[in-house]
Amino acid sequence: METATPKKTNKKDYRQLIVEGFVAHVLEHGKEPASIFKFAKDLKIKEEEVYNYFTSFESVKSAIWVALFEETQRQLEEQEVYKEYSVREKFLAFLYTLIEELKKNRSYLLCLYQDKTSTFKSLPKDTRDFKEKFSDFASELVMEGKETQEIASRPFISEKYDEALWMQVGFVFRYWLEDRSPRFEKTDAAIEKSVNLAFDLMGKSALDSFLDFAKFLYQHK
Amino acid sequence: MSKQVKEQGSIPVSKVQRAAKFISTGAKVGGNYVKHYAKKMVNPSLNREELHQNNATDIYNSLSELKGSALKVAQMMSMDKNLLPRAYQDKFTMAQYSAPPLSYPLVVKTFQKHFQKTPEQLFDTFTRSAVNAASIGQVHLATAQGKTFAVKIQYPGIADSVSSDLRLVRPFALRLLNMNEKELDHYMSEVEERLLEETDYHLEIARSREISEACAHIPNIRFPKYYDALSSERIITMDWIAGKHIKEWMDTNPSQALRNQVGQALWDFYHHQVHNLKQVHADPHPGNFIIQEDGTLSIIDFGCVKVIPEDFYQGYFALIKRELVMNPEELDQIFYGLDFISDKDTEEEKTYFKGVFAEMISLLGQPFHVDRFDFADDRYFEKIFMLGDRISNDKMFRSSRQARGSKHGLYINRTYFGLYNLLNQLKAEVDTTKPDWLK
Repeated sequence: METATPKKTNKKDYRQLIVEGFVAHVLEHGKEPASIFKFAKDLKIKEEEVYNYFTSFESVKSAIWVALFEETQRQLEEQEVYKEYSVREKFLAFLYTLIEELKKNRSYLLCLYQDKTSTFKSLPKDTRDFKEKFSDFASELVMEGKETQEIASRPFISEKYDEALWMQVGFVFRYWLEDRSPRFEKTDAAIEKSVNLAFDLMGKSALDSFLDFAKFLYQHK
Repeated sequence: MSKQVKEQGSIPVSKVQRAAKFISTGAKVGGNYVKHYAKKMVNPSLNREELHQNNATDIYNSLSELKGSALKVAQMMSMDKNLLPRAYQDKFTMAQYSAPPLSYPLVVKTFQKHFQKTPEQLFDTFTRSAVNAASIGQVHLATAQGKTFAVKIQYPGIADSVSSDLRLVRPFALRLLNMNEKELDHYMSEVEERLLEETDYHLEIARSREISEACAHIPNIRFPKYYDALSSERIITMDWIAGKHIKEWMDTNPSQALRNQVGQALWDFYHHQVHNLKQVHADPHPGNFIIQEDGTLSIIDFGCVKVIPEDFYQGYFALIKRELVMNPEELDQIFYGLDFISDKDTEEEKTYFKGVFAEMISLLGQPFHVDRFDFADDRYFEKIFMLGDRISNDKMFRSSRQARGSKHGLYINRTYFGLYNLLNQLKAEVDTTKPDWLK
């Protein structure tokens, strides 16, 4: 796959060059290059050289998303306190760190995803690999949460929890794109409140006791 | 899947949803009034205590969910013993302690934004959960190099939402405080100004320093030190102060002499600020005062400071001169100056309000009319509440279309009521000093 890390140094340089060239083009022109041919010409490399690393602009964008995710993960693991966090706190920390990473690339992301109608189609495609990695991370969190009793096991529904967390990432991303508050403080508040709500819903609640009771009545009437 | 969509749909972040919260409370309060008048038709002797009790519960429940400036308004109302019937006060004083805390990752993030370092990198120890809730933030306990610090962190987005929150509170304050719109706007601008100042932590540190230095000579008073290197727009680091709040301290049965000492320190502190510095710590909330075992009083939180304009000062304090209450011409002039009455009033209104204010002032000025006043006297406070209740229920007062009283008076009144109330809790007897020109 395109995202696999190349081994030779000059290869890596090309990869890097293409990604950086793509970002620079988007930043300067406000849109993707017209074609791979034109793009390669601007970079002064051969078109087929580009195909050695990326077969489409989509895969370039995908690689950028994956890099964002990996950087987020790396930073989380650097934090000593992260290991001691509860699952809720881990997810909060993930989102806060991710937003910081996104911030470094805000102009690029705004160019590509500000327009809602086209984003609706392109965002899910561009973030497919990102989502895959995130899903692994999320299911780990959910599993850990079930062990620590932070998340209640519910038939059918609890298998979809990682999907719910993914939707939350999408929500936070869109909220942040629109956020005009200084230091994106409103996004911080949105993360805090939405994650608390999500985990309150996933945790054991009165509803579980109610279902349990209903089941009991049904079985022993 | 539909469940997940709903999860996101119900995140209470947008203004619309916050507004909806207030509207539903407004509706409930309206319902309480309907219930009350319906009951009253059947039983005319029913008093309003029960109604206030119901209203207070509903209002409090919704405010405590909103946090931020709404919470601040609740707190402020809880201080204004003159404005609010007692049932509201009991509920509102709880508001301070019930805001949901910030998650630790957000605390870490706030530190990283402002210092590019995590709390663990800056301090030797740092509590993972808050040890205290402040109205627009929370306090963590930290240690470094053998020192203990209190670190106050502001909730993100508060500064931005002050104005919109106040607009949300407005319709609801209209009904609660029996004010008309004009009157309310007259005060709301003042409240907004103070609240915005309160979100500025740089200003808070500057003012804390200024006032603590200017008050350093007062006996039995102590202030924490503030640390610039560990503070920013959203974070304040100061010395941790061990000790007890007034209520807890009173539970230890301190002697009358010790209580008087604390009370006197409190009085002197306010005397010096009001009459000499002309700017005053306008948040006499019990949580901002900490008493050590030897009877020294520590004062924290200078977020809300009211600067007293000179002409307002002259007029306001001239009123507490005892003889002046008898001299009608001078009194008229001051009443005009402080916007208590204006030319728009009819003769009848003028006479009525002059009477009301004269009564209020002579009552509130009582501690100033003597050299030493015993604040333990509950009957005095009973009289104030009764007067407040009587006036706010008076038809003439309620139907007035005028804003009354200078807006500067809002925080000065609050400060004095707070001070009286603290002294009452302390059951202290103090020398009620006054500046020379008032003697």
